[in-house]
Amino acid sequence: MKRFLNWMQVLISTTLACVVVFAYSPAVFAFCGFYVSQADASLFNKASQVVIARDGKRTVLTMANDYQGDVKDFALVVPVPVLLKEKQVRIGEQKIIDRLDSFSAPRLVEYYDSDPCARYEAYDRMSVIRGTSAAAPMEAKASRDNYQVTIEAKFSVGEYDILILSAKESDGLEAWLVDNDYKIPKGAKELLQPYIRQNMKFFVAKVNIAELNKTGSQVLRPLMMAYESNKFMLPIRLGMLNANGDQDLLVYILSPKGQAEVANYRTIKVPSGDDIPVYVKNEFGEFYKSMFKNSYNKEGRKVAFLEYAWDMSSCDPCSADPLSQEELRKAGVFWLDSPSSNQPSSRRIRPIFPPNGGRVFITRLHIRYNRDKFPEDLAFKETSNQESFQGRYVLRHPFKGETNCDAGREYQKSLRPRFEKEAQTLANLTGWNIADIRRKMNLSGLPKPVEVPFWENIWK
Amino acid sequence: MQSLKLPFAMPRSLSRIFAVSTHLFKDARDYQILFLSVFLILGVSTRDWSLKPMAIALTFMTCWLTQIAMVSLFPPVASKQERWLSLKSATITALGLSLLLRSDSYGAIACASFLAITSKFIFRTNGKHWFNPANFGIVVVLLLDSFVWDNHAWVSNGQWGEDSLYALIFLGLGGIVLKKVGRWDTSVMFFVTYALLEGLRNLWLGWTWDVLVHRLTSGSLLLFALFMITDPRSIPNAKIARLIWAIAIAVLAFIFRNVFFNNDAMFYALFLISPLTVLGDRLWNAPRFQWLPRRLSIQI
Repeated sequence: MKRFLNWMQVLISTTLACVVVFAYSPAVFAFCGFYVSQADASLFNKASQVVIARDGKRTVLTMANDYQGDVKDFALVVPVPVLLKEKQVRIGEQKIIDRLDSFSAPRLVEYYDSDPCARYEAYDRMSVIRGTSAAAPMEAKASRDNYQVTIEAKFSVGEYDILILSAKESDGLEAWLVDNDYKIPKGAKELLQPYIRQNMKFFVAKVNIAELNKTGSQVLRPLMMAYESNKFMLPIRLGMLNANGDQDLLVYILSPKGQAEVANYRTIKVPSGDDIPVYVKNEFGEFYKSMFKNSYNKEGRKVAFLEYAWDMSSCDPCSADPLSQEELRKAGVFWLDSPSSNQPSSRRIRPIFPPNGGRVFITRLHIRYNRDKFPEDLAFKETSNQESFQGRYVLRHPFKGETNCDAGREYQKSLRPRFEKEAQTLANLTGWNIADIRRKMNLSGLPKPVEVPFWENIWK
Repeated sequence: MQSLKLPFAMPRSLSRIFAVSTHLFKDARDYQILFLSVFLILGVSTRDWSLKPMAIALTFMTCWLTQIAMVSLFPPVASKQERWLSLKSATITALGLSLLLRSDSYGAIACASFLAITSKFIFRTNGKHWFNPANFGIVVVLLLDSFVWDNHAWVSNGQWGEDSLYALIFLGLGGIVLKKVGRWDTSVMFFVTYALLEGLRNLWLGWTWDVLVHRLTSGSLLLFALFMITDPRSIPNAKIARLIWAIAIAVLAFIFRNVFFNNDAMFYALFLISPLTVLGDRLWNAPRFQWLPRRLSIQI
């Protein structure tokens, strides 16, 4: 018994020592390489972009607006959890959303192999290929009706005329919207009902042509709304009304705590980190689209993808400059200037230790939703996961110079199997035909590795 | 218990090992350990969880060490063999934590494991602990995360997805264990009550039925219903008490999820209702569950 206790003492103290060493140290990632290119929102037609800055119950939601048709016909209907007053709605800047997009887009990096005859690695060159992003809005059409619809608020913000409606019955709401010239698709009545029953209000926006002309541009700007609510969700069901097939949604969640994830669907990381053939540099957009579609189909079309999760105070590699405090404020981040002035909301008591010192963590989620696999509205969840992740694809340029030493010859021999492996990886990721890939890489142009009998190593 | 009749004489130490091994798979915990391990392997290999061997190893080590330490310190004084057997319960707790709790910090994991096992020895009445240890560890760490500091620990509710294949696997394997411990009634009552409440809500809201199916086939919900609320050592002993208890958890979980929009509703519900086990046992008498028949060992 005494020996047992002694043994236990030793074991426990050792373990405690180990635990203390590891205590509260989050995993650290380090990477070096150069950013080359990115797969931003412009790749995906009609991708809606939404920015949600959330701390506790407080939310600032920004919806990008890329309406392509006649602005006279534009109408936006979005269920919102609480009544919004005029002061809670603002016009946002598309530029900020584009900045967030560039900052977090999956990126391509290139490495250059060094001269195998010299024995050091040298990294070279940084080229930046930037795309412009365009996003389509979450268009939810609704119709007007006079029955039991209360106009809770009516105001103008920028080029939008906004109404906040509350309704008692969906027939009433639908009729009201139709009578007020909001073109509502069939079947909206059934979809409006759950939101009415959940006590949600309807944010209805139309364009005021006179105001729009004053701004001097025909481009509609993003809408921002600030509110406090327990609900951390996006009502995507309403947006599925007039869509056949899949719709893309990019959500940027900004949080002081850490990563956010989708709570009622599986969230998985987009495949990342693989070496791919060099020729993809010119086709990166196509590559990413195919790869995303391939992964999506493999998972049965019912998951959300995480494309980027990082603390915004740093980036490595940086596909765009980190956003400044001012830009973050314009994106909706409201906890940076005065951490001590936060009124404790009912769910959060005053933190004992200042939790984050003004950290902003960005999570980029790419969700391709459709009616059959995504019946529920998206619910999100913030976690204190501070692990970093980025969609990153690697190009390795082979050394092109003279290689006359032994190491050089070894290097040349190693190239073909390496290229073959890259081709296989690419075929797996994107589902492209491997023969086409090989052809584009000019694999057949490479010298075949010559089998050297083993005795030549010792007997020349 | 049958004794092995072997045609040669064995040294005593060896015969003891054989004696223990014939107990294998008579103890329902063995099945539970096996199945939970299968789920863990499934999750890591097919559901794309990031495998962190260090974290899993740490969970197990902390649970085991804490269990041994606690068993040695707290009465009833158990024999050496019984102490080793009690490690099975610690293993189940460790598996539960590995399956459910996600963390990017080793401190949080060790804290959760330590708290989980210690709760068995601190919160007990008449020798019975009230809290499901894994649930206690998870909830305390989550509460710390929400209200005190960034604890780097969270639960991923969507980690299993909503796949009928996994639902079947969970139901099948869970069913085997529940049959062995005779606690099917608790699971079924919880699930039926919860499904009924969600169904009523779905009807009232006017969603189509696939929304309801989606909400109910969440792998996390099924795992909870089959494995977490049916820990026979910490739930009420009498059947009627268990049924009421299961209904209470279902109602509370429904309220947390749909009124307060808390995604971790189930864990908090179980945590809050757990102390009522004592009340349940006082009102309705029944013998306490034993993993192995009394004559074989005393369990912790």
